[in-house]
Amino acid sequence: METANAECVFEAVGLKKEYDDGQVKALRGVDFRIHAGEFVAIVGQSGSGKSTLLQMLGALDHPSEGQLLYRGKVLDEQNDLSAYRAREIGFIFQAFHLLPTFTALENVQMPMFETSRTAPERKARAGELLRSVGLEARLHHFPGKLSGGERQRVAIARSLANGASVLLADEPTGNLDTENARHVMELIVRLHREQRMTLILVTHDPGIARRAERVLEVCDGRIVADKLNGPPTSP
Amino acid sequence: MTFLAVIIRGLFRRPVRTGLTMMGIAIGIAAVVALVGMSRGFESSWANGMKSRGTDVVVSNVGGALTPKPFSQSLVDRVKPLPHVAETCALLVDLTSVEKADMMIVSSRQWGGFDWQNLKIVSGRLPKDAKEKAVVLGTTAAETLQKKVGDTLQLETEELAVVGIVDGGAFVENGSVILSLELYQEITGNEGKINVIDVRATPGTTKDELSELCQKINAAVPEVHAVLGSENMRDSQALRVIRAMSWGTSSLAILVGVLGVMNTMLMTVFERTQEISVLLAIGWKRLRIVRMILYESALLGFLGGLGGVVLGVIGVKLLVTAPVIRGLLEPDLSAALLARAVAISVLVGIFSGLYPAWRSSRLMPSQALHG
Repeated sequence: METANAECVFEAVGLKKEYDDGQVKALRGVDFRIHAGEFVAIVGQSGSGKSTLLQMLGALDHPSEGQLLYRGKVLDEQNDLSAYRAREIGFIFQAFHLLPTFTALENVQMPMFETSRTAPERKARAGELLRSVGLEARLHHFPGKLSGGERQRVAIARSLANGASVLLADEPTGNLDTENARHVMELIVRLHREQRMTLILVTHDPGIARRAERVLEVCDGRIVADKLNGPPTSP
Repeated sequence: MTFLAVIIRGLFRRPVRTGLTMMGIAIGIAAVVALVGMSRGFESSWANGMKSRGTDVVVSNVGGALTPKPFSQSLVDRVKPLPHVAETCALLVDLTSVEKADMMIVSSRQWGGFDWQNLKIVSGRLPKDAKEKAVVLGTTAAETLQKKVGDTLQLETEELAVVGIVDGGAFVENGSVILSLELYQEITGNEGKINVIDVRATPGTTKDELSELCQKINAAVPEVHAVLGSENMRDSQALRVIRAMSWGTSSLAILVGVLGVMNTMLMTVFERTQEISVLLAIGWKRLRIVRMILYESALLGFLGGLGGVVLGVIGVKLLVTAPVIRGLLEPDLSAALLARAVAISVLVGIFSGLYPAWRSSRLMPSQALHG
């Protein structure tokens, strides 16, 4: 891997996740390493365990067995996982998950409540991020008044609010039409390139997966392929 | 955007539901303000009446009724010689219907007693002597009965001349029909009977000495009970019942408010399960989520409390104009009571939000990825 000398951001060792007292085995022993600055696509069929894997990486859920290390430390043993979620990672959801009663500008400020930024600083930073994703004319619009592509761009701006070094995206173009999907992917790839973020993206779209440097293929809770594509490509 | 703005926005995302819940609390708090304000007002009105008359110690036999039971006037002679007693004034006080008024205080006083001294004549004069078939009316009583000097007033079977309108310096005094004790005893057939002895202590008597005097009166005249003028109504069993009923009714109203707020906040948590999960996923601490729900319910309680205070004050103002109680009491709508009512409402909000907040803290951030 081209990032072999880069710092290891994530290391999974025998990672397992079971639900319903072991009746559902979402992950059946997964091992991998992801290095700083990598663009990794996790692909697989529906129900293969790729979203579960993303949840583990985002500390949204705990593994049933095995270990997940973040920068050399066991994630589950960290005292404050909310601080990890707030500062270390940015999350982009397929369904955007913006808060409907808050404007674009306010939605982007939400993660910043867990920082020492003052209200004016939060507002200024949110405005800056929205401008960087091309939404300067939509700052005071509520999500219901934005197109799907615009909502996802607000969500991307929100994921960057606290200067995360890792971006986790769960089917970020899954709810978008082709044109909007292309724009959103361009934005994500640009952010990865410009900000040297580690980008881990779950998708079932082979076209999107091809743009990643590395593809992890998940099937029945196991990684069945770990392929290198080379540097990320433009659409 | 501040955290308070997040809370306000969360609360008013369903304005109709929030408004109805607030109204539910407001009605409960209005009940507290009205009922407690009235019962405390009744107590303080009588205490102020005593103060205005310059009465330090009240000797009566209140028992279970609002008006004391009659006893022999001769008991006055056993009170007079006690230390620190400067003057006494015997009274026969009644709460009875007088012409148009369903309930009015009729305060008959020993002619020449100190209880006549506080009356300031607004118009007319005081009765000439104990036997003159005349009354004076407190200013509120005159308004309620729509009487002026020169009119007559039917009291029991007797038609009495209204010879004066007086300002007694206290709500209870101004709401009274005042006449001489001898005349009222004759009209009601209660010759030799009184139900109150007002005692004025010698100047410079301390509160401790007054309390001692009460004990001495109680020992010397066990048929009656002496209390400080300022605590006159505190011993009344009837008032205790009123007070208990006020708090009982208020508590029920508050309980309804608690259930209303709890229901609303639970609904809000259920409806916002995914939103809360998203907030957890983007790094909000569970404690912040708990705070958000608790602050929302506290704000709901606060706003409901303010509404309740306004409703309660309006209600009480309307209630005291009702003929049945007009002139009987001045409700206690002190800032302290109103502040206490709002504080109760905020506590109701916080208490009601505890379970929903706990529920919200149990949500998993992984739920954000579903749906």
